[in-house]
Formats: sequence, C-alpha cells, structure tokens
Amino acid sequence: MSVLLRSLRVIDSGKIHSARNFIIKEGKVHFVNDVKEGKYDEVIDCSSFLGSKGWTDLRCSSGEPGEEYKETLDSLGELLAASGFAKAVVLPNTIPAFQNKNDIQFFKAKTQNWITEPLIQAAVTKDAHGEDFTDMLDLHSQGVTVFGDGLKPLSNPDRLMKALQYLKKFQGVLFDHSFEPLLALFGQMHEGTVSTRMGMKGIPNIAEDVAIQKNIEVLTYTGGRMHFQTISSKGAVDKIRKAKSLGLNVTADVSLYQLIFSEEDLTSFDSNYKVMPPFRSQEDKDALMEGLKDGTIDAIVSNHQPQDFDAKYMEFDLAQFGMLGLQTFLPGLNRLSEELGWPLLISKITDGPDSVLGTSVEDLQNLTVFDPQEEWLYDRNSNLSLSANHPWMGQKLKGKVKLVFNKGKLAKF
Amino acid sequence: MSQLSSRHLLGIKDISPEDIQLIFETADNFKDVLNRPIKKVPSLRDITIANIFFENSTRTKLSFELAEKRLSADVVNFSSSNSSVKKGETLIDTVNNILSMKVDMVVMRHSSPGAPHFLSRNIKANIVNAGDGTHEHPTQALLDAFSIREKLGDVAGKKVAIIGDILHSRVALSNIFCLQKLGAEVMVCGPVTLLPKYIDTLGVKVEHDVQKALEWCDVANILRIQLERQQIKYFPSLREYSLYYGVNRKMLDRLNKEIVIMHPGPINRGVELNSDVADSEHSIILHQVENGVAVRMAVLYLLAGVK
Repeated sequence: MSVLLRSLRVIDSGKIHSARNFIIKEGKVHFVNDVKEGKYDEVIDCSSFLGSKGWTDLRCSSGEPGEEYKETLDSLGELLAASGFAKAVVLPNTIPAFQNKNDIQFFKAKTQNWITEPLIQAAVTKDAHGEDFTDMLDLHSQGVTVFGDGLKPLSNPDRLMKALQYLKKFQGVLFDHSFEPLLALFGQMHEGTVSTRMGMKGIPNIAEDVAIQKNIEVLTYTGGRMHFQTISSKGAVDKIRKAKSLGLNVTADVSLYQLIFSEEDLTSFDSNYKVMPPFRSQEDKDALMEGLKDGTIDAIVSNHQPQDFDAKYMEFDLAQFGMLGLQTFLPGLNRLSEELGWPLLISKITDGPDSVLGTSVEDLQNLTVFDPQEEWLYDRNSNLSLSANHPWMGQKLKGKVKLVFNKGKLAKF
Repeated sequence: MSQLSSRHLLGIKDISPEDIQLIFETADNFKDVLNRPIKKVPSLRDITIANIFFENSTRTKLSFELAEKRLSADVVNFSSSNSSVKKGETLIDTVNNILSMKVDMVVMRHSSPGAPHFLSRNIKANIVNAGDGTHEHPTQALLDAFSIREKLGDVAGKKVAIIGDILHSRVALSNIFCLQKLGAEVMVCGPVTLLPKYIDTLGVKVEHDVQKALEWCDVANILRIQLERQQIKYFPSLREYSLYYGVNRKMLDRLNKEIVIMHPGPINRGVELNSDVADSEHSIILHQVENGVAVRMAVLYLLAGVK
C-alpha cells in the first residue's frame, strides 16, 4: 500500500515550505523528488492543504469510566484523530480516577486501537482529592511519566512539595492547573467589570497568580519538573516568564479557547461559556498571546471537557464548567492564524508539547494534514463527541483536518 | 412611544431611558386608579399570570399579586416551598408544566443570577424578573426611582447614595443602572468586603464612611444586610456593623440639609437603619411600597402589549 501526497506544503522550523511530494509506504512517510504516475495505490492532491508533524494535545478529558454518557474512550479516540492529534494526554478525573496499575491497564486496553498515541496524566493524589498520594512509582512502572490532579489544583503546598520531590527519581513531570480555591470561593466567571454587571461571584486573577507564585517558590526549593496547565491571567504569564529567565524547569500551556473568547462573551448567561479557568479580560488575552510569541507558553491545548446536555441546560451558577475543544480546535487555530501565523501555532502543538513531555519525534514519523480553507457545518450530524457543549454548535466553521498518519496507520477525513 | 422595546423585563440594564419614562407615565395613571374608590381596571382581563417564586418573598409577591388583580388578570401562585423543585425537577420543567396550563406571563424570583434570561431563551411567555440572585431586581429599581421622582420632582441631577451590602444586593445593581439612565449621580457605600471590587467601573462613586455618604447625597437608599446570601463571613459582627455602617438620627441631625431616606425592606431595625430614622419625616419607605403596586401594574400592562 503506497499513498502519494502530491504538492503538500509542510510547516516546520518556523516556516511554511514550498510544495513537495511525499509517499506513505511501509508505515513511514518519505519525501520523493520524482513522482512516477501510476505507481501508487492512491494519489491525494494536497495542493490546497498544509501539513506538519502529528499534533499533540496535552489536556483532554474522557467520561469513561464513570460518566460514559459524556464521552467514552472510543468516542474520544475518534475525536482526537479527526481533530488532527497524533498524541494526547488524557486527564485523570474519571470515576474512579486513573490512579493505579489496573486503571492504567484498562486505559491501555481501551485505547490500543487509537490512531492517536494515548498518554495518561495519572492522579498524583487518591481520587484527585489533594491528600494521600497515589503509588507513583508503581504507575511509572506502567509507563506513566505525567502526574497531576487534572481539573483540580494541587493547592496544598506540602503535597505539592513532596510530589515534586518524589517524582525526581524518574524525572516525572507534575502537571498542575494552578489556582487557589480559597480565593475563588463560589466563583462562576472571571472577576471584573462583566461579573460586576452580571451580579455574579467572580474568580479573580489573584487566585491564579498567588498559586503560581507559590508553586514556583516550592519548585525553586525542591527542583524537579513542573508544567502549568491552562494558564489564563496576565500575572501567570509574567511569573512564568520570570521563572524561566531564572532557569527554573517550568513549562506552561494555554487552552485554545482562552485565546478566542473573553469575559464579554458571558453577558447572555450562556452556560456554554462557563469554563475553568474562566474567560478573562482582553488584557489577559493579550498577555497570553504575547506569552505564546516569546516562548513563555510552550503549548496550546484543547482542554476538551465534555458535559452532557443536562449538566449545562440550567441556571448559569448551577451548570458545570467545561467546553468541548477537539473538533473546533483547527477552526480555532484558523481564527488565530492571522495574528500568530501558522508556523508558531503549529510549533505549539508539535515541538512545544514534545518538549514538555521530554519526547521528540523525528520528522515525518507521523503527519497531520489539513485544509485551512474548507468550510463545514458543526452540528449534531458532524459532531463526533457524545456531548455538545460548545457555543459554535450550529455554525459553519473554517478549517478541516484531512488526514492523520500515525503508528503506521493512515486515517482520512 | 407607547410600547416597551422588549417583551420581557429581565433587567434595567436591557431597557432604555425611554422605556423607563413610559413605565413612569403609565404608573402615574395607575396611581390615580389606585386612589379611586374602585381600584380595579379591566386591562388584563384575558391574561393569566403565574407568580413563580423560588425564594421567599412577602412584599414583592404581594405587590405583584395585587398589581395583577387590580388589572383583572387571572393569577396563579407557585413557591418553591410547595413545589416539585425540592424533588429535583429542573427550572425549565417546572415552568413548562405551569405554561402548559396556558399561562401568558411569568413573574419569577430565583436565587440564580440570569435565571430569567435562561428562561426567556426557552419559553414563549413574557417574563418579569422579580429578583434573580445577586443580579437585578428591576421593578424595585423602577419603584425606587419613581418614588424619588415623586418626592423631588425629578431624578436627573440628584445624588443618590446606596448604603449597605452592595455585594449581595440585586436592588443595588438595578438601582445603579436605573438612576444612571435617568441622569442621577450614584454613590455606593459599605464595608470594602461588601462592595464588588470592580464596582467603580459602573461609573459610581465609592465611599466607606457612611456620614460622608450622607453629607454627599440628596437621597440615601439603605440596603439590608443579606445574611441569607452570605455563604461566608464578610464582617465581624452585626453589632460592629450597626455601629459603623448603620444610619441613625444623630447622623441626620449633623447634616445641614434635608435628605430623603429609602429602604427596599424588610428593615433590620437597629442594624442598618434605626427606628428614629425609618419612621421619621425623612423616610419615604411606605411610599415606596405604595408606588410598587402602581409601577408593577404599569410594567405588566405594557409587557402584555408587546408580542
């Protein structure tokens, strides 16, 4: 089986290369100079497409086990591939949490046929409650290198300190969505002008800023590796930038939708916009963009968090946090491409996340190819998730993943 | 202009100054009606209104019900204490069940900010927000401004201080929007912990000294401490609050001017307001209650005309 990708423009090393021909043959991608007509099983015209190394998502959620009606591992696998991802880190906040050897084996068994390479962020504390540790070495023996409590912050400084120390034995990375819960009590959205106008309890920037500063101080003391997930405030960007300049081993990511929406989108009390961290001010958004440009923020994540209809179709303050993020990922990138450019955006979902994970993929071992211009209707028929919590549902979106080649398999969309 | 720009009254934020003026002019007429021997008009004879209260209320519910009956509407009442809400039914299911009985308008009080907005996207009836959590209480703001207009001739150019628990008050937010739309200057005053951090972005003055607020204003609207909405402690004790943020007669006597005292009720006497002020000649608190019926009649009458 050989497939010719004709006239594909590949993005890497900070630029979009001119169109070249590639063949996929014997489980690998090869660059070819001479194209011999009739020699290939299939020829795909890629002249209007862009391609890159396969994409990596450092943060997405499954409902399985426990809340299979939101998302199963099967539906998540299908979604990840159709959204262009060759590798993905799944959060541990299932019921029960992914937290022991058996859980990891279950996860591996359920995801073995994924096109996407599945990784797990194993819970660092039992049930992600922030108290007793999970058996981290035992989990590592199953190949786990990323630990964290996923949707919950590890806010107890003693737990954080000891987790960072314990993970040093095998260079494990502690992922943390850092915020101080006691400074965000009863908060429903970003604290600012809009929350004031809406009479809504806010989640202030300081809740994130204080936690990130505290965690940086702890990391300075312990050493080790820490990755800040879904940062959202200007203060967080500033503090991580400074920590990096001091040589601290920290990395950071941001949710794609954090760069698109802002607090102003919440004025109609639409619970589809209720996410954690909350959509913040334009000033915060600008700082996040700057952080991406100067390398403070290493990766962009989908933060795909499915919520079923009944979890969202209710009063705003009673609705669950979270938004889908996978099928809308490329259309979201599209909206940012003018300001940030494709080479930077692609680096934040390829080389950036690989450096966070401490892995590297040789060029052309895997491939994501997409059409940045193709329009498609995001609706109940095209939605691959079991949930539908996204404000773009029902809208025409621009940007479609065309094929993903990974683990020797080719998936076309 | 003889029609409101919206088919719901979800908040003052969403209506225009012209809408407010129309409501006031209509309320003037209804106030005349209320002072006649026969206080009833047939305006809403074919309309059925459901008063759906998911939070406790005495005066607002009574005021709405009286307004509806004075307009000859058919009225049904529902409150969470005797509803299926406690059995886990959703808001939409509860309201849709009531609407299935052919109800034209819904007056709703709910503890969640934005609950009437959510409802307005999902049901066909006209909706009047009778208070949604810490968000808005539009008819209270309308009757407050109507009462200021009645007492002082006009709202434009007046200085109104809103004193008390601003953070947990829906009355404060609606009053700010309403008074500003009518051209008044607004100040908020209270302990820092009971003021939203970004309240100044609404264009109001911020003060923490009650005596200074009283010196500044023409009208002081004193709000009650919303202990039922405070999930944690925001100040040390009611004793300290009454000593430092309560309004008493001595404070008014120190002013070299007359000011108007308002309170949306119910008053915590001796906490935010002493009896020697609440019952004084400065107070228009009972006028507010009286005007509430006329203003709510105006709102219901006008909304019934918007399809």
